[in-house]
Amino acid sequence: MSAATLIARDELRLLRRNRVAVIATTLLVLLTLVAVATSWAHQRGIADLRMRYQQGADRAFEAQPDRHPHRVVHYGTFIFRPLGPLAAFDPGVDAFTGNSMFLEGHRQNSANFGDVRQSSLLVRFGQLTPAFVLQIVAPLLLIFLGYGALARERERGTLRLLMLQGVSRRSLVGGKLLALGAVALVAALPALIAFVAMAGQPGALALPMLVTAIGYLTYLALWTAVILLVSATVRRSRDALLALVALWAVTAVLLPRVVPDMASAAVPLRNRLQTDVAIARDLRRIGDSHNPADPHFAAFKQSVLDRYGVTRVEDLPVNYKGVVGMEGERLTSSLFARYTGESYAAQDRQIALVDAAGVLSPTIALRALSMAAAGTDFAGHRRFLDQAEAYRYALVQRLNRMQAEDVSYADDTAEDVGADRRKRVSATNWSAMPDFSFDRASGTDLARGALPGLAMVVGWLGGVLVLLALATRRLGERR
Amino acid sequence: MNLLRHELRLLARQRLTVFALALLTCLTVAALAAGMAEVARQRAAIAAIPAAQAEDIGAVAAWIDAKKDAGSAAYYSFHPTWDAPAPLAFAALGMRDVSPYILRIRALGLEAQIWDGDTFNPELALPGRFDFAFVLVFLAPLFVIALFHDLRSGEREAGRGRMLDALPGALALWRRRTGLRLALLFAALALPFTVAAVVEGVAWGTILAVLLVVMAYLLFWIAVAALIGRLRWSSVANAASLAATWLVLVLIVPTLANVAVNAALPVNQGAEIAMAQREAVNRAWDIPREETMRRFYARHPEWADSAPLGPAFHYKWYLAFHQNGDESVAGRVRTYRAGLEQRDAAGRALGWVLPSVGVQALLTRLARTDFAAQLAYQDRIRAFHRRLRTFYYAYLFRDRPFAKADFARAPRFGDVPNG
Repeated sequence: MSAATLIARDELRLLRRNRVAVIATTLLVLLTLVAVATSWAHQRGIADLRMRYQQGADRAFEAQPDRHPHRVVHYGTFIFRPLGPLAAFDPGVDAFTGNSMFLEGHRQNSANFGDVRQSSLLVRFGQLTPAFVLQIVAPLLLIFLGYGALARERERGTLRLLMLQGVSRRSLVGGKLLALGAVALVAALPALIAFVAMAGQPGALALPMLVTAIGYLTYLALWTAVILLVSATVRRSRDALLALVALWAVTAVLLPRVVPDMASAAVPLRNRLQTDVAIARDLRRIGDSHNPADPHFAAFKQSVLDRYGVTRVEDLPVNYKGVVGMEGERLTSSLFARYTGESYAAQDRQIALVDAAGVLSPTIALRALSMAAAGTDFAGHRRFLDQAEAYRYALVQRLNRMQAEDVSYADDTAEDVGADRRKRVSATNWSAMPDFSFDRASGTDLARGALPGLAMVVGWLGGVLVLLALATRRLGERR
Repeated sequence: MNLLRHELRLLARQRLTVFALALLTCLTVAALAAGMAEVARQRAAIAAIPAAQAEDIGAVAAWIDAKKDAGSAAYYSFHPTWDAPAPLAFAALGMRDVSPYILRIRALGLEAQIWDGDTFNPELALPGRFDFAFVLVFLAPLFVIALFHDLRSGEREAGRGRMLDALPGALALWRRRTGLRLALLFAALALPFTVAAVVEGVAWGTILAVLLVVMAYLLFWIAVAALIGRLRWSSVANAASLAATWLVLVLIVPTLANVAVNAALPVNQGAEIAMAQREAVNRAWDIPREETMRRFYARHPEWADSAPLGPAFHYKWYLAFHQNGDESVAGRVRTYRAGLEQRDAAGRALGWVLPSVGVQALLTRLARTDFAAQLAYQDRIRAFHRRLRTFYYAYLFRDRPFAKADFARAPRFGDVPNG
């Protein structure tokens, strides 16, 4: 048996005898189990609920009576964002984004009813998820168990004894690294087992799960190495503990809050009121559909008349009101696309600023990795928003086309007693409309989104290992 | 006094203490600055409303004036509402980053509008804001730990413990040392805060209340440190167990409690309200219009003497079924709101046993940034919406023309009294 293994075994025996260490590790394992259980139950509950709501909304849409197509444009439809299986591991922004959306004509509504506005103030203290336990709590446990690993030996003079007996510095540090790494593995084990269980879920993707597992293990290895580095360089074990707790507080608690605040101050977002007013302004510039003499709509009308070779809208083979509806929707939607595009770009810039701060805090890098792989980051939410908008536009234009083709212009403009009946189209049309189905990101896409974070965490580990190697060479020197 | 100065000199020689106090002061100042900047941004956004609104409503008024149709005016006019930050909001931003503080509404169905949110980046909101409340609740205890974990064990480990305890003024010595450290920590938090609060025009009573909260929270953590200190462990064991206590009280128990509260008090998803309201509203197109009007007049007899509907579309029917739709879900709204209030109450009740939650709840209450403040804003929106309806109905149900000048007569949110 090599010296390093012996030292590792010795250190582990010491930890086993330390009642506090055993209790703390047990508590962490229990906490992880509770987090896994509640987070999974929560995610399943949400998924079921949203699926039920979605089915209810689809049924309600199909059960509409005979209606004028434009009524259905405003009746609209509700869609609910489904969650991927990994959301049970890291729900990311799910609680902070609304999970339901009302889609209708000429308007782009916000996603509403997020958990954050439906929970008590406790939700802002953080959410108990396996990701939270591994990102924030596990490193602190490792600090408590490992701060003294080398500092203690030096403080008590046993370091010199060990070296006199011919133990090389490398095997000494290597052994301690091995022991603390084993503890880290124990701490991560429940989460990893839950992970394997989640892999059995339908829709679970292998590649992002692999990236997540590598990311978290690298992160815990990184903390193990940091702890030994500080323990090797600081003179007293108390200083090692304080320095490590301070380091943890700054990188895991402080920076993840400060950096987003700075990012949101650096890149301001246009609020909804200003966006709506700006869109209305742009629409007026293009043309005023309320004004019969408006040049844009006059030209549009002429082009439609020319296309069909007639001189009056009454002579058109299609209902002109439906045609104008399509043109109006095209205009408003292109403006929505432009303004939401600007807003998304600004939010992406904010997130890029935060992600760059992964250089300062590995926790930030890991969080980005974890959410990206689970598809619960902003990009994942945006995927939903983009598909929702595409679906909304297609649905509204189908209905406008229905108005143009299936409702005659004469009926549509009539105001007599029976006109309301003649304007309606058959209820059989509604079930022919396609339902919204969310096209999830592929495993490759999710994994690719997680790569920058992974690169940073691996880079951190590499850097700290180099420093640890340097510190090992000078271990035990008189200063 | 001399002794105190002597203690201060001793303290100033400890690099850790000096560094910790300087860092806490810096963090406090930074958090206050960040909070003030955010509140200034919110105030600027609110101040920018009138200009944008004037432009928007001006354009609507321009083309509606040709028809003088009150219904189109009601349909196309958006009216801004806003929730100005209270003077203390900078210290505890609470829910203001995820709940809208500006919302435009129309005189149509309110339940389809009042739950809308504003634009915010969810990834930035996720970790929570860096404000004074965060520095106090999360970080200040760590500084208490840094300054107090070796208060007595440090002397013991240096071999002076027994001697100090044997001195005649031993008790006074520990009191002096505790008091001095407490005063320095308090000053690092309270002085920057007081300056910021005075700049922001916070009432003196409120400032005093916050200072009391700060003092009480620091005392709690000092008491914890003293309790653990009595076990006569080594400095390093003290530090480790204090940090573990902090982890449990500030991070783990609140998150566990959040899971428990949400599981114990289920609320129906708000989406149900929106869906039910939309069914009720759209059904009106498929039932006889007289039925809608009968139902509306039964609840609002003040308009019942309005002229009967002709065959053509009339906006008073349109607005009436929107109001019927709101009223048909009023019960659900009450239940939903009661559920949310129960959750909030449960969260705050935890504050009585968990100081971290208690301080957060107190600060957000004083700063009017908590859930109750969001509800109060919703109540003001509802009151304003009632005025809007009454305003437009007076034209619609009496068939009065709505001219350009009438747009300026519309109720303004600023006139709604604070709930």
